[in-house]
Amino acid sequence: MAGLWWPTRPAAGALRAWGPRGPHRGKTVQVPRRPLPRTPWTTRGPPPGAPLPRSWQDKRPVQEQIPGLEQVTYADKQYFVPWLARPRHPHWERGWHDPRHSPGPRYEAMPLYKERVCYVCHQRAKMLEGVRQALWLTKTKLMEGLPPKVLNIIDESANQLENQDEKVQNAISHARVWNTTELIPKRESYCPVLLEDLLHLCRTMASKYPSLSKRMLARDYKVAATWERESSILQVRGLNGILLNAINPLLPVASKDEILATENHILETFHPISPTIDLQEVNVYEERNDTGFREGYPYPHPHTLYFVESANIRPARFKPEQLRAKMLMFAFGNALAKAKMLYGDDPKVLEHPVVVQSIGTEGRIFQFMVFQLNTTDLASNDGVKNLVWIDSDQYMYDYIRYLPGIRKKVVKFPPGIYGYRPDTFKKFLALYLHGAVQDSTQTKIL
Amino acid sequence: MAAPRGWRLVWQGCRLLHTEPSAAPQPPAPLYPPVVASYTAKSKSAKRRRLEYFYQQVHEAPSIAEKLRIYGRRQRLKYVVYPQTFSLNADRWYQSFTKTVFVPGLPPAGAEPAGPGLPDLSELRSLACDALLQEHFYQRKRERPVLYREQQHVPAPFLTQLVSSLTAALGSCNPLLTTSCLDLKPQVNFYWERGETVVCRGYRTGRIDPVRFQIDDKPHIQIRVPKQLPEFVPLDYSDPGEVPVINHKPDKLPLFKRQYDNKVFIGSKVADPCSYGHTQFHLIPDKLKRERLLKANLADQIEVTYRANGIASLFAWTAAQAMYQGFWCEADVTRPFVSQAVITDGKYFAFFCYQLNTLALTVQADQNNPRKNICWGTESKPLYEAVEGNNVKGFNDEILLQLVQFLLNRPEQL
Repeated sequence: MAGLWWPTRPAAGALRAWGPRGPHRGKTVQVPRRPLPRTPWTTRGPPPGAPLPRSWQDKRPVQEQIPGLEQVTYADKQYFVPWLARPRHPHWERGWHDPRHSPGPRYEAMPLYKERVCYVCHQRAKMLEGVRQALWLTKTKLMEGLPPKVLNIIDESANQLENQDEKVQNAISHARVWNTTELIPKRESYCPVLLEDLLHLCRTMASKYPSLSKRMLARDYKVAATWERESSILQVRGLNGILLNAINPLLPVASKDEILATENHILETFHPISPTIDLQEVNVYEERNDTGFREGYPYPHPHTLYFVESANIRPARFKPEQLRAKMLMFAFGNALAKAKMLYGDDPKVLEHPVVVQSIGTEGRIFQFMVFQLNTTDLASNDGVKNLVWIDSDQYMYDYIRYLPGIRKKVVKFPPGIYGYRPDTFKKFLALYLHGAVQDSTQTKIL
Repeated sequence: MAAPRGWRLVWQGCRLLHTEPSAAPQPPAPLYPPVVASYTAKSKSAKRRRLEYFYQQVHEAPSIAEKLRIYGRRQRLKYVVYPQTFSLNADRWYQSFTKTVFVPGLPPAGAEPAGPGLPDLSELRSLACDALLQEHFYQRKRERPVLYREQQHVPAPFLTQLVSSLTAALGSCNPLLTTSCLDLKPQVNFYWERGETVVCRGYRTGRIDPVRFQIDDKPHIQIRVPKQLPEFVPLDYSDPGEVPVINHKPDKLPLFKRQYDNKVFIGSKVADPCSYGHTQFHLIPDKLKRERLLKANLADQIEVTYRANGIASLFAWTAAQAMYQGFWCEADVTRPFVSQAVITDGKYFAFFCYQLNTLALTVQADQNNPRKNICWGTESKPLYEAVEGNNVKGFNDEILLQLVQFLLNRPEQL
């Protein structure tokens, strides 16, 4: 009988889950499974007619409940006494305006104050529902995988570097191992280095395709885009990733028929959760559409947005799902700002859709995205939708070993890159080459 | 105590004399290891032996990484040399620390390697102007940069953009650049010993100690390549210039002493195939701006800042490359090492070339060493006169051409 209740000890050194402490340590207790508890009424709400629990009732301070009762504080003592209340003194007025200690005007007194709340997506906004939420906010239809146009570029063997795999592995090793005098570099340092190394590899293709040298990277630029979505006003604002600008716009990825076919698509909702959850609510805002660049900029068309998720500590880092949502929001924001600059603020279906690509990475996992803005009429759920192709969670490699694994004085696992996947860089390169080699592939298809 | 031992020795000696055979045959090989001085005693020979043992350890190190580790293993207080310094006339001090001759002007141009001709200059000029205008005008930025972050506001992104786009555009002319590695804000360290001093405090007061130096540099961008650049002049070329001799302690520059890890690093570990330097790009910090020096009535120190930066940074980088090939102060270089640098504050550009002829800088190694390191450098000249609205005024093609020639430098065969 006892054997049933106290099963055998787990193997020595095995990770132990929760279990009894003390003399019965190591023995797992198997309690017979009971039915799950019923939903407490605090969650369901009180039954009709029942009084609220005491903790929910409105409680006034004792001083207010009993007239004449005064709180005893340590104000007269003039030193801290733990069992006496902390005195609350009236706020001290300086008597003159000191800008260093001024709390500033109240939100209501600011000139840009508006009654209507605006929901702002900025670079630190982590969206709970991830891509689903971003799809709803941007009125977009999701397509898995990369578009066929980009896949054509990947298949072409002329679009590869010489010794591509060796060069990419060197770039990974440089970022992850060789970059520092320490044994292991920090994530904050190796993620940007990896992106820069890969971009440098892509740039060396300029000798093959001279139009590639007509590109420009913008590092700390700010974008602003405003749109209406079902009775709420939304904005994408501020700093975001590194933007690659090009002289010529990317041609639309989807054909007209495909665009028209999106009219039948029904956007997914997630009802009990508000679609604007986790976006910042602000009352002081300006309705602005700005690509971040002045008129006459010689590289006016956004090509690719690169995001690096390099926070050292895990709570500050974006999970892949949240990173994809952020990439989608900012690709949409850039495209919308560009479209409003080209076609005006009136909502309409665009003649020439705007295409913006986006690549995000956290040092190992890459997210690829091609976004096509078909319409700026976003308020209603009907009509033409935008399109996005997402190729998610592409591993560049599995892991890095910094020290050799030695078993019985024999090196079993030498340090280096394990599980390298060449396809990921091919996709990275294909998205970089997208505008430059487009024409040759198109003629080939024709 | 001494007397009885002495008597015993004499007695034993007598006994040995008596028992020794008259004609002993010479053994073919020594049966016993040679008698050497003590390793641990407090004597000059023991000290010499410890030093020799240390040299032997470095010579016999199985790998370069291990060699560098042993070389920098002993931590002592060392002078930290800052390449970008506010010190007055720092370039002469840095020349004496690194045994460098400074030659104004650029090195004699060698035979131009045959290759595809120079690309269209107008294209390169438009690339440079676009990068300049993007940062100065087209990209919307905050009106006034944060205090002492002005270099990060416009010149730093401009330099990054200029170098990366020029490197990409020149890749077809110089195939070396397509195999290169571009580092943003890498770390460059070098540790060396030069000269001797008397220890003035502590329990070692009065003893002779080598003076140790460390450079921790952070160029804005650097290009590393897998093949070595060709030498500017032969290894034993004797330059008419003299290395300045400074008869003061480096404390007067001022330099300060710290103790931490002795590091030798070119921006990448030894395993990296791109282990030779091509070009470094340095950005002069806000505190050493031209206007600031002019305001402080130090107009003569403007070029000194550039020179000091060029000499110190290039010495550190080139010497670290030489150490990555296994050379060090007791095993001097057998071929010269060469690097280039461009030092700029976003508008004024100065060009430097460095040829490392010797690493033997310690007193023991430097006794009969006629070789000197050579640094060539130009005065700083403006790339443009002004940016007004969306046009650049007075763009200087010479500077751009010089920059392109630096980037086109490559060895004869690839």
